[in-house]
Amino acid sequence: MASGPLPLMQGTLDVLVLRVLTQGPMHGYGVATLIHERTDGDLAVEDAALYQALHRLDRQGLVEAEWAPSENNRRARYYTLTRAGRRRLREEAANWRRYSRAVEAVLEGI
Amino acid sequence: MSEARKPLWYLRRRPGSVASEVDEELATHLQMRVEELMGRGLRADEARREALRQFGDLEFTRRYCRTEDQRKETHVQRGLFVEELWQDLRISLRGLIRVPMLTLTILMTVGLGIGATTVIFSAVDAALLRPLPYADPGRLVRIYTDTPPFKFPFSVADYQTLEAQQTRFTQVAGYQNRSMAYSDGVSAELLRGRVVSWTYFDVLGLKPLLGRTFTSADSQPGNPLAVIVSYSFWQQRLGGRRDAAGQTIKLDGNDYVVAGVLPQTVGPLEQRQDFFAAERWGTPPRKGPFFITALGRLRSETERPLAADELRAINRRMFPLWKVSYQDDKATWSAMDLREYVAGDVGTIAGLSLAAVALVWLIACANASNLLIARVTSRRRELSVRAALGASRGRVVRYLLAESALLAAGASAIGIALAWAGIRLVRVAGAEYLPRTQEIVLGRPSLALMAVMAVGSVLLFGLIPAVHGTGGSVDESLRSATRSATGSPAVRRLRRLLVGSQFAIATPLLVVAGLLLVSLSALQRVDLGFDSRNLLTGSIRLPPAGYQQPGSVQGFWDELQRRLQAVPGVSGVAFADGRPPNEVNNFNNFDLEDFPAGPGQSQPVSPWLAVTPEFFHVMGLSLLQGRLIDERDAQRPNLEAVVVDRAWARRFFPNGSALGKRFKEGGCTTCPWTEVVGIVSEAKYVGLDKPDEGTVYAPWSGSFSRFLVVRTTAPPASVLPAVQRTIRELDASAPLSSVATIDELVARSLQTPRSLSALIGGFAVVALTLSMIGIYGVMAYYVQQHSKDIGIRLALGAARSDVLRHVVGQGMTLVASGTVVGLLTAIVATRLMASLLFGVGAIDPATFAGVFVLVLVVALLACAGPAARATAVQPATVLRNE
Repeated sequence: MASGPLPLMQGTLDVLVLRVLTQGPMHGYGVATLIHERTDGDLAVEDAALYQALHRLDRQGLVEAEWAPSENNRRARYYTLTRAGRRRLREEAANWRRYSRAVEAVLEGI
Repeated sequence: MSEARKPLWYLRRRPGSVASEVDEELATHLQMRVEELMGRGLRADEARREALRQFGDLEFTRRYCRTEDQRKETHVQRGLFVEELWQDLRISLRGLIRVPMLTLTILMTVGLGIGATTVIFSAVDAALLRPLPYADPGRLVRIYTDTPPFKFPFSVADYQTLEAQQTRFTQVAGYQNRSMAYSDGVSAELLRGRVVSWTYFDVLGLKPLLGRTFTSADSQPGNPLAVIVSYSFWQQRLGGRRDAAGQTIKLDGNDYVVAGVLPQTVGPLEQRQDFFAAERWGTPPRKGPFFITALGRLRSETERPLAADELRAINRRMFPLWKVSYQDDKATWSAMDLREYVAGDVGTIAGLSLAAVALVWLIACANASNLLIARVTSRRRELSVRAALGASRGRVVRYLLAESALLAAGASAIGIALAWAGIRLVRVAGAEYLPRTQEIVLGRPSLALMAVMAVGSVLLFGLIPAVHGTGGSVDESLRSATRSATGSPAVRRLRRLLVGSQFAIATPLLVVAGLLLVSLSALQRVDLGFDSRNLLTGSIRLPPAGYQQPGSVQGFWDELQRRLQAVPGVSGVAFADGRPPNEVNNFNNFDLEDFPAGPGQSQPVSPWLAVTPEFFHVMGLSLLQGRLIDERDAQRPNLEAVVVDRAWARRFFPNGSALGKRFKEGGCTTCPWTEVVGIVSEAKYVGLDKPDEGTVYAPWSGSFSRFLVVRTTAPPASVLPAVQRTIRELDASAPLSSVATIDELVARSLQTPRSLSALIGGFAVVALTLSMIGIYGVMAYYVQQHSKDIGIRLALGAARSDVLRHVVGQGMTLVASGTVVGLLTAIVATRLMASLLFGVGAIDPATFAGVFVLVLVVALLACAGPAARATAVQPATVLRNE
């Protein structure tokens, strides 16, 4: 495996965030941690970009934000996937798979 | 949790909260990251640096997130607003349906106010405000002889001088009304026509639909007579054929060439005219008579003063030339806006009607406001709960305004429907009272007014209750609402003020209606001076072409007189050139031998009737002195003998008999003396509302057109067919037109005052009814809220009559003060309508007192119900309920 995390492709982060939120309401720090764990650190997700994505998704109505107490009793902003968010995730995931299959087909045999 | 189910006000964020929430979120994140790093063994300051490094561009992210959140917030707010508005409207609608009486009262009364005001405004707009529908109407004027207070038409001599000498007008024109008999070869009918100068259509800028307008050749003797016909004449009598221009038609027995056909839409001057014949006025032998309405088109609107100077100068120049037949050197020439002339004197009537309907609207709004305040007050608890749950004051105001807006929208819809129907009605029925009714439309000014009234309604009856619905602290309202509150003092004061204003508005309306009714009844009681029953009249016009032989005209009238006398049911037949109560066609001036008019003095003028000797007997006028006119008087070439009425004799000879007195008539200085040979009782010829200022009866000798007056022994309607048959047998081309009994003519002359008093009276009744509803509502509420006090009073030994007196006194104080304000207003206002009154002063004490008593009695009735309920209060029940 090549060393160092991969840079993130444009638009991919939104899908990742939506995917992570299918597991239930989560605050930004939780999302960041989960993405880091899921990819073993292979994808370089800046916290800044993550928060921008969360607020963008909130504005688009794909997630909903609400203040609630965190696990260690802090007030944290929890994000929940909305129905529209779930639909968007399905579409984007399908797109992503087609894309990656197409690229894979071309690269096959190397 | 879906957004729609949340109480709406929960979602509201305070301004600035977006920024602080983003800050808090990012701070929390960094804090968590620092803790994580310290958990891995970093020092606090190292962990902090590392967390910031990992985060990336913090400042940009902060700005980015804030912007995103703000955009979302705006979007949500907007959505909420629409949703809330929709919800408010739905709830309001349901609420209003639950109180149908209240809703209907408000809808109908405010709707009536809006609709009626719009109709009358549209009529006033068409009659008085809008420019005339002619080309460049600002330059059109009417030119007249000015001898205040009269504006006299021109004579042929005047008109021809004006035409020859004026330089300030691009063109001048003149017209005279003249009915002519149109004959299609089988039967004849008398049609409304006009004799016009050839310039008439050019001055007004009217283009014919077919054919051409007149040219100067049409007025030259020797050329064929020319006529331009109206669209309806063309349709009905010429079959609407395209080749109608150039055809020849018979008018008064003469051949006229149809030069052109007018389009369907014409100006107010051409309305209801059947044809326009080019004049053949010829060269006048003397200055009078005066029958031409002169019009002019100014070269430019700014030349008006110059034109006025020129008119005065021309008149001064021509005065010496006609000195023999015209001596009034105080008369000058003047010009007025043609629009003003067309509008006539309807200004007062129009203004009065408009004011009346606008006041009804205002009173309807005050009433609605009052009813809605009561509604809000009784719902105070519900509103307080809403406020306690977090609804902002603005939110509650909006909720209450939604209700008013719904009501105003409904009322406006009703108003539009009423206006639509009303305008159609006025266009048909209003022509009797107003000029230019054909031009009434629901146009932009009317719609603008309606929109203003709709919005005004919302503000008038919406804002006050809404503001009061939210007044006071929530806490206080909640606590007081659980007990039987008496409503806040401010609300009570406001309601009393509203009811007081209702009476203050209704009272002047009632006074005006009362004065109009008193006038009407005075008019109806006017003594015509004769027995008006069984008097049949009509107009006959001989076609001049058929009566060119000397003596043939007189022969026709003599023969007609003889034959009509023989008709069963006819007891007397006479001819005259005028008829009661308001159709006198001639006013003449005269110079008395005993009191000659000095230089610079105008000669006296009287209504002047030419009558046959039988006239006095047929009408039933009694001879007081001297003798009546006889056949011999009529045969003399000069006017040597006249009969005058008592008023004339009193006016000029108050201290002696007028019998045998002499004068020169019509400005003629060379004619022989005319002598007063008899004095008869008065009769009305210039209108019921005019005082008897003296009438002169001259002997009548044959002329082409006269009124027929027939006294019948049977009902006139049953005799009429035989009369008409007799005339037709004698000459089928001389039809009897404008047939009416004198009673019908009297009724017709009362139509305008009658309709006006019905209109204003109707609105006054509506206003009074609304005021009654207002005072009833306030008193019923008062009793309901004070039942505890009343119960305690009764328990402490107050007599029920004391309670009654107290409650009634409360209401009547309010009514009386409103009414007094109204009466004071009326004293100022009725002066403006003095010109409409007859036989009663503008400040008639009896009418004012009558209205005061009427209002108090009706208000007493309205207060009686609530007062009775107050006395029926059972102290034990009330106190137990506490």
